[in-house]
Amino acid sequence: MSRTTRNAALAGCLAAVLTLTGCAGGGPQGSAGAQLNLATLTSPQSLDPSQAVGSALPFFQAVYDTLVKREADGEFSPMLATEWTYDDTRTALTLTLRDDVKFADGSAFDGAAVKANLERFKKGGGAAAKWLKDLTSVEVTDATHVTLKLAQPDPAMLFYLSDAAGLMANPAAFAKGDALKTTPDGTGPYRLAKAKTTIGTKWVYERNADYWGEELPYKELAISFFDNETAIVNGLRTGQVNAALLQNADQQISIESDPRVKTTEQEFDFQGLLLFDRGGAITPALKDARVRQALNHAVDRKTMLATIRQNRGAATGQVFGPDTAGYDKALDTYYAHDPAKAKSLLKSAGYAKGFTLKLPRMSAIVNDALASSLTTDLKAVGITLKWEELDGSTALRKIFTDRAYPGMVMNMGQAADDWIVVNELVTPGTFNMFGSTDATVGKLLPQIQSGGEKQKEAARQLNRHLVEEGWFVPFYRMTYLHVSDGTVKITPQSGMAVPSIYNYAPAG
Amino acid sequence: MLNFIARRIAAGALLLLVISFLSYLLLSVPDTDVGRTLLGQGADQAAVDAKNAALGLDRPVLTQYADWLTHAVRGDLGTSWFTSEDVTTAVTARLPVTASLMVGVTLVATLVSFLLGVWAGVRRGAADRFVQVLGVIGYALPGFLVTLVIVLVFAVNLNWFPAIGYTAFSVSPSGWLSTITLPVLALSVASVAGVSQQVRGAVIDVLRQDYIRTLRARGLPTSRIVLRHVLRNASAPALSVLGMQFVGLLGGAVIVEQIFGLPGIGSMTVTYTTRGDIPVIMALVMLTVIGVVLINLLVDVMIGWLNPKARVA
Repeated sequence: MSRTTRNAALAGCLAAVLTLTGCAGGGPQGSAGAQLNLATLTSPQSLDPSQAVGSALPFFQAVYDTLVKREADGEFSPMLATEWTYDDTRTALTLTLRDDVKFADGSAFDGAAVKANLERFKKGGGAAAKWLKDLTSVEVTDATHVTLKLAQPDPAMLFYLSDAAGLMANPAAFAKGDALKTTPDGTGPYRLAKAKTTIGTKWVYERNADYWGEELPYKELAISFFDNETAIVNGLRTGQVNAALLQNADQQISIESDPRVKTTEQEFDFQGLLLFDRGGAITPALKDARVRQALNHAVDRKTMLATIRQNRGAATGQVFGPDTAGYDKALDTYYAHDPAKAKSLLKSAGYAKGFTLKLPRMSAIVNDALASSLTTDLKAVGITLKWEELDGSTALRKIFTDRAYPGMVMNMGQAADDWIVVNELVTPGTFNMFGSTDATVGKLLPQIQSGGEKQKEAARQLNRHLVEEGWFVPFYRMTYLHVSDGTVKITPQSGMAVPSIYNYAPAG
Repeated sequence: MLNFIARRIAAGALLLLVISFLSYLLLSVPDTDVGRTLLGQGADQAAVDAKNAALGLDRPVLTQYADWLTHAVRGDLGTSWFTSEDVTTAVTARLPVTASLMVGVTLVATLVSFLLGVWAGVRRGAADRFVQVLGVIGYALPGFLVTLVIVLVFAVNLNWFPAIGYTAFSVSPSGWLSTITLPVLALSVASVAGVSQQVRGAVIDVLRQDYIRTLRARGLPTSRIVLRHVLRNASAPALSVLGMQFVGLLGGAVIVEQIFGLPGIGSMTVTYTTRGDIPVIMALVMLTVIGVVLINLLVDVMIGWLNPKARVA
């Protein structure tokens, strides 16, 4: 082969490749109103509603309706249930149901279906099954009326019914073994398009032509799972992803300057040190409220927020989020960074020489910057912080099953409902594993549980009490960024990091 | 030859069995709590125990392995703990993505490496130095950096290709080509850098042989010497490297698949291994072992075909 022919052959190959690929170039796919492409870092373990959890709710909302709808601002509105009333003791919740809703096989949605779903959810062993622990029975009065009997009042019951516990599946599917896990059967606005779906990667939903309610603006809804935000950011830039939530501050910064995208901020997760050992079983020093207050004064929240989150967030001293009744803005700045005060508090508690605090470290939550700044801040007041490196699954066992640590640094979603915050962090359980309590907490909890106006005031008092007693060492609420490629208007959902599927509309 | 292939396949099957056992053991040893991971930290201990029992994790590891093995040999690889998908379906759905990448990269790498390597080896001088410098650069650049730059330039800025996602060949051949072009390009850089140096070295070695001088003396044209004699003899070492790289590509595929959001085996391996989804991880381990055994066999057969000296008696 002479050099000329060789070069010609090479050029030919190159031209062929360019022609083949060039004509098939990328670019935005579909137009507004046709398909909505969402990207997420969360995937559901199954599409069976008894296994549903709040973080994967959109996957379920597409195919199932909930009994109660939770609007973007957190207010409850009718969905499958049109009305709900409590009795005076707040232990019986009567629901009036729609009479015009049918499942895909033509069977009617009725009181019996509600009973079957709720009982199944309670016994289903899902992560949220404990929500219904106080549900003693479901009485079906007739096809459109059911009464939920509760062992004790639960002010978050309507929230549960607007979330995982309220997802209604066709009871006929319950007998088919694990069918619901990959073949959802509900009354929702979409149906899963199995042919286009690869479970674990991309779920595609097509509009349900027989939907009883108002149809959502998109004919097709696709939710793709990604394991990193870089791919999501690139997808948003090229219009292959229409909307997504970005948690990482660097990724947020990298995309904000792009003129094509639209962004909306939301403070959702807070990051902080959750102290479990307020009885001093592992670390005796933590029994003294002054020591816990010293920890709060020792951490330099402002600097941490700047170095770890590039100032994307708001420093806080409380675990109640801004959407709750218990939230008090003043408590965000209750603990100033004051090493001298921290030292004197430690001294008065008898720990002038400090003590050693051993905490678990999972790199997914505690990155190097966070670990070192916390170590430095505590060292400055004489507390030696020892990190124990753990990988994700081992960590869960050691922390929650073996109760091996006096506390942990955690990112926690801030629920919009006071009672949910209380249940997560204050009542004995997962994050209060040593069951610590005191007289004030004991007095306020029943008031919050009973509901009504008194509830709000009690929640505020409880929040203030927890902050003053140093139950926790919150650092800051983190700002998450809802990003759309410019074609979609996203309305953030109160108390949820991922918006409900009802919160997307073509940008006007 | 058939005897050789049969022996290799039998050895491969034994290897598969041993590796499956060791993998299961290693995966089960860590002090993990799958039920807890599945249900989250908020779940009651009773619910976690019930979940573990439902998955059969309360049984001894050997019983679990025996159970897995008896199902696996019948083709039932189970169900993913974390997504409820059938493992066989899940893996076969993702296999074409990674297979497209690996075959694409191998084709591109072979073609470009041989062109560059032969060019450098035959011409020497400036061309040789140019190829060597290219090789060093290609080898030195971190894979993820190359990938990120390629995405930014060709997808995000120029918008010539999609930045993320995969279109199956059966759905749209042109869509398939457009979605795999950039990932293949990104993965090929290091392969080309490695293989072209191998080819260059082998070509230079062969050109120094006495018989080449004899061929030249007999007046054969250079192109014929290169194509008939040099290439054939220089191919064996290059093929060995290509074979090794093909297997190693899976590692590179992990990064490329993550950055391009490709739902392939590489990103799947990372996601499911971090979760501790044993049924899926086991299937992926088996798939990789089978892949390695087959590729090595193929390379040996090809080398034997190219070079009679390498054939086993």
